[in-house]
Amino acid sequence: MLRYIINRIALMFVTLFLIITLTFFLMHAIPGGPFTSDKMLAPEIEAALNLKYHLNDPVWLQYLNYLKSVAMLDLGPSFKYPGISVNDMILDGLPVTLKIGALALLVVIVLGVPMGILAALKKDHWQDTLVMAFATIGIAIPSYVIATILLFVFALKLGWVPTFGLEEWRSYILPVLALSGFYLSYVARLTRSSMLDVLDQDFMKTAKAKGLSPMRILIHHGLRNALIPIVTVLGPVVANLLTGSFIIEQIFALPGIGRHFVLSISNRDYTTIMGITIFYACFLMLMILIVDMLYLIIDPRIKLAGKKS
Amino acid sequence: MSKTETNQSLEDSAGYWQEVRSRLWHKKPAMFSVAFIILLIIAAIIGPFLTKHTYYDQNLKLSNIAPYFEVYKINQQDQEPTYFFMNQGNFKLYQVNEQGELQGILRTKRKDMLKKRNIYQFDQTKIIVDYASLPVKLVDIEGAPLASEGTWLNASYMFGTDSLGRDILVRLLYGARISLTVAFVATFVNFFIGIFYGGISGYIGGMTDNIMMRIVEIISTIPLTLYVILIMVVLESGLLAIIIAIGSVFWVDMARIVRGQVLSLKTLDYVASARSMGANMYQILVGHLLPNAMGPILVTMTLLIPSAIFIESFMSFIGLGVSVPMASWGTLTAEAVETLRAYPYQLFFPATAISLTMFAFNFLGDGLRDAMDPKLKTS
Repeated sequence: MLRYIINRIALMFVTLFLIITLTFFLMHAIPGGPFTSDKMLAPEIEAALNLKYHLNDPVWLQYLNYLKSVAMLDLGPSFKYPGISVNDMILDGLPVTLKIGALALLVVIVLGVPMGILAALKKDHWQDTLVMAFATIGIAIPSYVIATILLFVFALKLGWVPTFGLEEWRSYILPVLALSGFYLSYVARLTRSSMLDVLDQDFMKTAKAKGLSPMRILIHHGLRNALIPIVTVLGPVVANLLTGSFIIEQIFALPGIGRHFVLSISNRDYTTIMGITIFYACFLMLMILIVDMLYLIIDPRIKLAGKKS
Repeated sequence: MSKTETNQSLEDSAGYWQEVRSRLWHKKPAMFSVAFIILLIIAAIIGPFLTKHTYYDQNLKLSNIAPYFEVYKINQQDQEPTYFFMNQGNFKLYQVNEQGELQGILRTKRKDMLKKRNIYQFDQTKIIVDYASLPVKLVDIEGAPLASEGTWLNASYMFGTDSLGRDILVRLLYGARISLTVAFVATFVNFFIGIFYGGISGYIGGMTDNIMMRIVEIISTIPLTLYVILIMVVLESGLLAIIIAIGSVFWVDMARIVRGQVLSLKTLDYVASARSMGANMYQILVGHLLPNAMGPILVTMTLLIPSAIFIESFMSFIGLGVSVPMASWGTLTAEAVETLRAYPYQLFFPATAISLTMFAFNFLGDGLRDAMDPKLKTS
């Protein structure tokens, strides 16, 4: 167990190192320095800026310096907003992104799993059809389309919720719904099919033959086994809920990291793009690691020794 | 992959595919999807030639015209009656002819800012656009509301125009070209890389396989959306950049599936006999293993297409897609969001197009998977 965890963490650092290297060199492959596009800049000022940010150093030295500062958890200054560091931007946006993401995750689990169970138990009844229809819609329609439709209907036409900002609790409803739409459907479908598999198993019949109450059979024997595949996908789900929030934050004008990221892309603010990418990657890999650990705890059948691809 | 699947793909190949086809034929959603996709492809190819509009021609005088409008009629002496409608977004009056073709914008005679009304003059008759209180009203000189001639369809621009007066229909069709091109090309790139990588990894096995799969494992922990965004930033947005970005990233799943298939197929007798007859790795892979692994590969490809369409529109939506004046469904949606409050119809068409296409490919992929699923066959 311990060896596996250490292995995983080591792999995580290797991946992280690769990501930092890749992002760094990709950003430096862009022709022109970060200040060349600013037409207002006098050549002397540009030279001074280049000197200040060590942009005249050879690339390998810049790379080493960057690695060093990232290791110290310092993602450097933003090139477009003087005096603001990338760390500031991330810390500024993180609470909003985390709140929206966590709520969406909650919706996915609290609504998606019961929907899937209901559909599996009432297979071929109207409940099943309804859940599956909903799930198909949720998977096919892109989140930004859902977001704009929700915005149009509930905020502009009906005026039930504010169109932007996060001043009151009602402002959270639409972003969270739009963000969770796809994974809600995905988890509902997955729960349904995995529940159907489990319901077919012999141990369910045994439990029934033993005379256990239907509720106990369902929760203790059915759900515990049916949830295992769902836990496996939670890592990627968390990852995608967070990266999916770029667009949601953009549409609902929420001041999260995703919005900073999209803005930095259109501003061509390379250090910010680099910094936020690295931050996201770290965060997501950590999430996936945590979920995989959870998975080990939930499913004792997994033998780590034999875990090879 | 499971054992049953392997055995299944070993069955008489022609019979198997025939069966898959007939099972697919009975799946209504999948067949509707096939029909829809074919129609969409035809429309995307020949549609733009059938209209006199282009995707880049701007006509600012006819901007933001809805696909339908409520028409009013003014009778004039010794002249044809004049038909016109009021744009619900900007409250300007536009003249139309009896066929519903746009004739142009009508000029205000007087703008009365204080009383909040615009006065239009038609020979003897005066029409007043009264915006003192909402909703904005069209009244005659006595203040009585005009009688409407009913709702007409826009004959000049079937889907209306956008904020620069460009035809939305033709932009949508061009968008379909771009979205579909990106989706198909990127999927094929993924297909080839995935097959090549997964095939070699699975066939050679041992240490090579171990290393190659470790690399796949590392790549799959990198959030792919971020990676695509990075590549798009570096390559400068454009059609080729999107294809390269998507094509170089999403092959990981394909590689895993091909590897799994090859791994389970290569131990079978016919591979050994092919090898004993002197076939080399390429011949065995291409001639024997891949055709038998085609089922799962095909399903993965079908499901890759909607995700490629989604990623492309996602990129376009955040401003990393094709450059103006070209349009993809993502840019059309993004443009429509800006004018959502006044002109919601501009969102309706691209949103519907992309949703229907995603539906179609998802249904087709699900249908294919069900048609090939050995579990269903036994039950």
